[in-house]
Amino acid sequence: MITNDELASIINGCKNGDGECFSRIVDIYSSRCFGYFYRLTANSDISDELLSELFTKLVDKIGSYKGGSFDSWLFRIATNIFNDHLRAKQRRKKMMEVLMTRREELEEVMESKKSEGEVTDRLQVQLARLDGGTRELIMLRFYSQLSLKEIAHMRSEPIGTTLSKLHRGLKRLRELMGC
Amino acid sequence: MRGPEKEDLRELFERFVGAEQANEAVEDILKGEQILRDNPAPEPDARLIVSIKAQIAKELALRRAKASRWTFFRVAAVAAVIVIFASIGIKLMHREGKTGQVYISSMMPAAIWESSNITVDDTRLGILAAAVEEIENEFTHLQEGGNGRNGEKTIEELETELIDINSDYGKGQFVWM
Repeated sequence: MITNDELASIINGCKNGDGECFSRIVDIYSSRCFGYFYRLTANSDISDELLSELFTKLVDKIGSYKGGSFDSWLFRIATNIFNDHLRAKQRRKKMMEVLMTRREELEEVMESKKSEGEVTDRLQVQLARLDGGTRELIMLRFYSQLSLKEIAHMRSEPIGTTLSKLHRGLKRLRELMGC
Repeated sequence: MRGPEKEDLRELFERFVGAEQANEAVEDILKGEQILRDNPAPEPDARLIVSIKAQIAKELALRRAKASRWTFFRVAAVAAVIVIFASIGIKLMHREGKTGQVYISSMMPAAIWESSNITVDDTRLGILAAAVEEIENEFTHLQEGGNGRNGEKTIEELETELIDINSDYGKGQFVWM
């Protein structure tokens, strides 16, 4: 476990353009960020792309980090990247709908696309049954290791709402998993 | 480092619900999170991490190159401005030097200007003065009815001689014969 002082020193190095410090950040956060993307997309190829994009953006944006919780700052970028990905996916879907005239053909294609990258671990299947917002909240909480107060602030909602959504989501997941 | 485990969930829930409900909610959350821990997501591929690090190194190298180019251009621009201002300054200094001096030019040499006896200090003027004096004498002599020659003819000769002297003097060729 890295201490706050060590992390601050690494971040300073990153701000000065030190490649070694960026490598350490990748080592520290890649696993959690990949898990976050993977549980939200259920696709390793897409998660690979999103993780690469996250660290490329980190190089761009590190100058704008003005202190505070680095995890919160990094996962805010990760969340934005995921939301951009979702919007792009929606656009692609709409374009496909326009191109495809027959509904059966569209469903067939979407089904085959979905099954290509989908990993069928049990948790992933049950997570897919939760609504998108709840799934994102649970994953953000689990992988970012942020406090509920920070998550509520990041999502711009009252802490009571965050608490309630998290509780309902995890309770539902327990039921779905049969635990 | 801050984390969920350091947060008192029970206390948070008790702000909104009763103690019993808060206990249940906390239990639901902890068990739900235990499911996530028991089913970990796959780790990112090691090749992906290497590729990301390489990409970052490349990006940093590009930024450094860009930054040094900018530094070079900035230094060059500053140097150019300094050179331009310096050359303008030097030109202005020269111009100021020129305007500060008064150049006095005279058609007459200083030696003559300051001379108390021009005919002595300037040979050519002495010769001219002697020629004028000679002609003056001849006129005086003629007026007095001298040398017995045809008066009109003699005056014409003198006039011609005077015109020649004037012309030669103007050309700088005057020599008293």
